[in-house]
Amino acid sequence: MSMGIPEIEDAGCLLCFGYNGADSHPIVARRIVRGRQKGMKIICADPRVTETARISDIHLQLKGGSNLALVNAMANVIWKEGLADTKFIEEHTKGFEEFLKVIEKYTPEYAEPITHIPAETIRKAARMYATTKPAMILYGMGVCQFTQAVDVVKGLANLALMTGNFGGPAMGIGPVRGQNNVQGACDMGALPNSYPGYQNVTDPEARAKFEKAWGVSLPSEIGCPITHVPHRILHEKDEKKRIHAYYIFGEDPAQSDPDLAEVREALDKCDFVVMQDIYMNKTGLYADVILPAAAWGENEGIYTCADRGFQRVRKLIEPEGDVKPDWQIIAEISTAMGYPMNYKNTEEIWNEMIDLCPSFKGATYEKIEKYGCVQWPCRDKSMEDKGTPYLHKDGIFGTKDHKALFYGTDWHPPVELENDQYPMTLSTVREVGHYSVRTMTGNCRTLRNLEDEPGWVQMNTGDCERMGLKKGELVKILSKRGYCITRCLPTDRVEPGATYMTYQWWVGACNELTTAKLDPISNTPEYKYCACRVEKIEDQEWAERHVMELYDDIRAQMGIDTGKGAKA
Amino acid sequence: MALKQVQTTCPYCGAGCQIMFTVDSDANKIVEAVPAKGRTNDGTLCLKGHYGWDYLNDPQILTKRLRKPMIRKGGKKAPLQEVSWQEAISYVAKRLGEIKEKYGPDSIMGTGSARGAGNEANYLMQKFMRACIGTNNVDHCARI
Repeated sequence: MSMGIPEIEDAGCLLCFGYNGADSHPIVARRIVRGRQKGMKIICADPRVTETARISDIHLQLKGGSNLALVNAMANVIWKEGLADTKFIEEHTKGFEEFLKVIEKYTPEYAEPITHIPAETIRKAARMYATTKPAMILYGMGVCQFTQAVDVVKGLANLALMTGNFGGPAMGIGPVRGQNNVQGACDMGALPNSYPGYQNVTDPEARAKFEKAWGVSLPSEIGCPITHVPHRILHEKDEKKRIHAYYIFGEDPAQSDPDLAEVREALDKCDFVVMQDIYMNKTGLYADVILPAAAWGENEGIYTCADRGFQRVRKLIEPEGDVKPDWQIIAEISTAMGYPMNYKNTEEIWNEMIDLCPSFKGATYEKIEKYGCVQWPCRDKSMEDKGTPYLHKDGIFGTKDHKALFYGTDWHPPVELENDQYPMTLSTVREVGHYSVRTMTGNCRTLRNLEDEPGWVQMNTGDCERMGLKKGELVKILSKRGYCITRCLPTDRVEPGATYMTYQWWVGACNELTTAKLDPISNTPEYKYCACRVEKIEDQEWAERHVMELYDDIRAQMGIDTGKGAKA
Repeated sequence: MALKQVQTTCPYCGAGCQIMFTVDSDANKIVEAVPAKGRTNDGTLCLKGHYGWDYLNDPQILTKRLRKPMIRKGGKKAPLQEVSWQEAISYVAKRLGEIKEKYGPDSIMGTGSARGAGNEANYLMQKFMRACIGTNNVDHCARI
């Protein structure tokens, strides 16, 4: 995020795009509510009537998969109506002329049939965003989980650039990162194209620095993205490129990744699968080796939150059983393979890392302990450098000439559209009381009592009436890749023809249906759009029994003593 | 009962909320969790923050906590057998070494973890993949 989370409530206008904070980050959503109370204008672009939509000034209830058409049309209005900040564009950006050529055709009238939003509403939203200062954009997976995702992120950045909404507090654009340390895993270079601190593996200078520090020569070729792994196991012809070993650390691809049938086949065919985790999970059923790790609450370290803040995590209790901290397991395997790693604690690892990363160099343990949180960039170890609450101060960007670049691209539709056989669409969304694949929250008594298998499919009330479906009834939902059983939740918050499911359920596993088609740049799957069909199940008694049997079977596979006829 | 107070960062979502725990060190149990005044959460928590630490007690509702290293000695369909750490580490090292020898470093893929493990473990994982295995095949669920 270019801004800090506390700044949200001070924005004059918030464009909340494909981001449902109330479910995914309730404490961030609270800042949106507080902003509203202080008079912030809210434009909410979301196909569902989310909580943010309910308190918005303008709800752009767009058709799923039409994001870029809407964003380009807003840019078109801002330019045509003379609302752009031409001084900022001139002084701080490049590529505006080329960008104008792309957005020329995206009049609100052109976008209306694509987005299903009246042209006049698009105009109103564009005017509100461009004329209320400072204006902030927050976005979430409703932008990122499409085959056209990076283009939309750039499109949103274009809006902020053309209105001069960079360089000060409470403006800019912010992807609100999902998992607790997804920002940190990126910061640390758990990415196929970058070393820690966003230093590119293809940059010879960066490579030479890491080669010297680590005492080895390093590969220059960009590695395999996680979403290519099934293909690289199952279909890669080159033996040197085919994945033969998969070391999975703190992930459960057999539950969280798209097109689960393909993932299972890949894990089954992979010669050697290592799983390092805290709980048995779906992936563990395919692992050749399982390495038990200490959990959050049992180890020390640092996380990075969504707005670049480094914060300490501390040990609360001693782990029981024969488990080790993750870093120690990795170090021991490395040492056994002839590349010794000897660290006494996490601070030693951290110190090695910050000295290799200019943007993190000043963020010492001592400083993080003292201030509680340090937002990167923090380049100087002196206690005076307290980090950076917001990026691009005074319109100075991280490029060589400090200028930001406009990128204009044309909208294209999602890959798998509705058809005769699968006439509805499926988008995956978040569950407020459960987290990821739910091995943590599903093992918390209070949270389990809030929501349990097989989860729900949100459907428009009219669609439910037409199909004779009542609230709570079990239904079968299918795509051309697979199917699952879940409960029907009729709601007017969603449009006719659209369905929404959350992804942590084993029985109601929506990833049996999702497509593994990817954005070409980010390699993120199109979780937010595939074609599906909902079928009524006549024998509900059978269906209830069947769901319970499936649930008990999986729990038994996970090592739980379910007992005969035990209620799950 | 030896009670101590420990502040830490919530393990759910990227908001980075601060929680103050009261821990009974003798019983090795968490007694209470209350919101702390963190920069982002400002003294509030959501329901995951309030109630999401029970899994540390291994209540065995959904799955079982992993407590021992295990190897599937008889191949893919065989049952997992508990082994010592020494055996597990040397087995992983041997198998990864053999695969690297036979097919080259790019035939091995590793993941980081965006969850509990923290930054230091992620740093070591990518260092292991790059410096020890010799590949840039490392990624995590940011895309998922």
